[in-house]
Formats: sequence, C-alpha cells, structure tokens
Amino acid sequence: MSNDFYKIHILPFSGIIIKLCRAYTNSQEDFEDYYQEVCLQIWRSKPNFRKESEWSTWVYRISLNVCLTLLKKRKNNKQHFVSDSIASEETEDSYTFSDESLNLLYIAIKQLPEIDRAVIMLYLEEKSYQDIANVIGTNPNNIGVRVSRIKTKLKTLLDGKIN
Amino acid sequence: MEKSIEKIWSEGFLANDALIVPKINNLYEQKSIHIIDKFTRMFKINLITIIVFSFTFLLFTIYFGFPITGILFFIMLSILVIINKKLLNGLKEIDYSNNSYQYLKSFNTWMKKQIAVNKKIASFMYPIIFIAIILGLWFQDAEGVPLGERLVGEVLYGFPETYLVFGIPLIGIGVALFIIAILAIFGGKIYKFDLNIVYGRVLKKLDILLSDLEYLNN
Repeated sequence: MSNDFYKIHILPFSGIIIKLCRAYTNSQEDFEDYYQEVCLQIWRSKPNFRKESEWSTWVYRISLNVCLTLLKKRKNNKQHFVSDSIASEETEDSYTFSDESLNLLYIAIKQLPEIDRAVIMLYLEEKSYQDIANVIGTNPNNIGVRVSRIKTKLKTLLDGKIN
Repeated sequence: MEKSIEKIWSEGFLANDALIVPKINNLYEQKSIHIIDKFTRMFKINLITIIVFSFTFLLFTIYFGFPITGILFFIMLSILVIINKKLLNGLKEIDYSNNSYQYLKSFNTWMKKQIAVNKKIASFMYPIIFIAIILGLWFQDAEGVPLGERLVGEVLYGFPETYLVFGIPLIGIGVALFIIAILAIFGGKIYKFDLNIVYGRVLKKLDILLSDLEYLNN
C-alpha cells in the first residue's frame, strides 16, 4: 500500500474507521490489528470499487465487514459461543477514552448486537438512512425505526450510569 | 442523563487522544509467520501420510500376493520422504529475524527449489509407479504360473504369429514404453496438479502477500 493511497483514500476516513474498530475491540492491541486489517482490505478492494456509491460508504462497508469477520474469527478461535444478540464478553474494556461520557457510551454501544453497533455509529456520524442502509445492506425504511429503538436502549443503559 | 448521545459522541471525540491513528506495522509479519507455519504443518502431515501409506500398501501387497509392487512403492516413497525431509530441514534455516519481505522471499526461494526437486522426482516416480504395478501383476501367482506368462500363453493361443521379445509380445512392450514415456514427460505437470490440490490455497496466499510487500517496497 503506497503512502499516497493511504493519505488520499484512507486517512480522511480514519475517524470512522477508528470509531468502528473501537466498538468491536477491547484492547489497544486488538484495535490496532483491526485498524490495520481494515486499511489493507480497503487497499485490496479498491479495484472492485465501481463508483455505485460514495467512496466513504465503500470504506464504511469494508470496515464493518472486516470488523465483523475478525470478531467472528476470534470468537471461533476462543471457542467462545456467545449469542449474536448480546456480546457479553465485551463488558470488560482495557482501553479507556479520556472523556468519561464517551467511555460510558462506548460501553453501552458494546452491549448492543453487532449490526446495531454499526447502525448507531453511522447515525452518530450523521450518515443518511440511505447510506446506513447501503453499508448494512438493508432497506432504508427500516433504519429510522431501528435507530430510534437503539437510541432508546442506549439511553436506558446510560441513564443508569450518567447523571 | 444530562447529555444526548449525539452530544456525547461529538464532544467526546474532540479530545486529543480519541482519534489517534495507529501505525501500520507488524500486520505482514504476523501473516507471514502464519502462512509459513501453516505450510510447514501441512508439509509434515503430507510426509507422515506417505510413510503410513507406503507401510500399509506394502503389507497389503504382501497379503494379496503381488509384493513386487509394494516393495517398489515402499522404496520409491521412502526415497521421496528422505529427500523431502532434507528439504524441510532447509526450511528451518530461514532466519526468523528477517523482516517480513525478506522472510517471505527466502520462503519463496525454498518453495521454488522444493517444487523443482519434486518435479524432477515426479518425472521418474510416475513411470516407476506404472512399472511397479505392471511387474506386480505380471508376477502375481495365477494357479501356479505367473499371471504375465499365463496371459502371454492366452495371447499366443489366439494369435500364434505374435512377435515376442524376451517372451513378451512386442506390441505389449510398445504400449508399455509409450505409457512410460508419457508419464515421464507429463510427470512434472501431474505433480503441479497434485501440488495445487494440496497446497493451492496456501501458495495463493503467499503470492498475494509477496505481491503486496513488493508493491509496498516500490
């Protein structure tokens, strides 16, 4: 991967990549592995980009797919059978943000099902429902309902922790 | 809750430490070691399988009365295992302290050498397999007479003018020599086909990784 490719096609989107990777990892080491793998896969997938969507949407989609794939691989490696709906293994987090509210929000996000984590993060990044639907591969009509349901769940979780 | 989640999100990431981009560093190192370990493991398993097969086949052929095939197979496969074990020892000499690119390049060089050696062996091995099967069947006991001699007798009974060389029909020798020549010529290709079935995926991954690293270096 050339430096130019990284600077032009990845670095401007590193924010969302970092945010996504943080939501699927517990340690700094795992986070760095996920981030590197995402960058590598974006670079590898570039020839398949057919401009049917924005480059940023393409980046989000790859980031999410890589995170989900790595998460599944690690779960399989650990022979850790956890329900897809609640990722209970991720309650203990060795990485902490300096902003306490953000920390708690991440802890709450990690309680969500894997796809819901991506949905809420893309929503918080102010992506349109259409963009979110493109990344997730679902109907945009369902996204609004889903976002509001996730927000309610997050608020419930946070209300117990933030005054 | 005082703040909305939207506000927590936007304000939280204003902190300097929240979005530090990690360095891209040892990913290739991990992948290289993983691929080479996987190949080494498969290679060892393959050698063990050959040893087990050659022993089992030897016993099988002795039991069913065509030991020449079993003995020839056993000798040939033992030589194959010894040569490949020596090649495997060469793999252990690759320096793990090299960077990923050098490490993979060394492995790739070893791989090419290994393939070249085995391709040469294959051009002898497949004809020997054929000869071993023919000899085994030829000398198999058929009611007190070797099966080959009995077959020649049958042929001569039907075609009394058949031309014999050392007691074997010339046409039979011609066909056998033709098959041996074909196997010798295409032995290398058969080996490559075999190689792709067993190690194809690992070799493809190795190629991708090497081309990635070459691209990075340029």
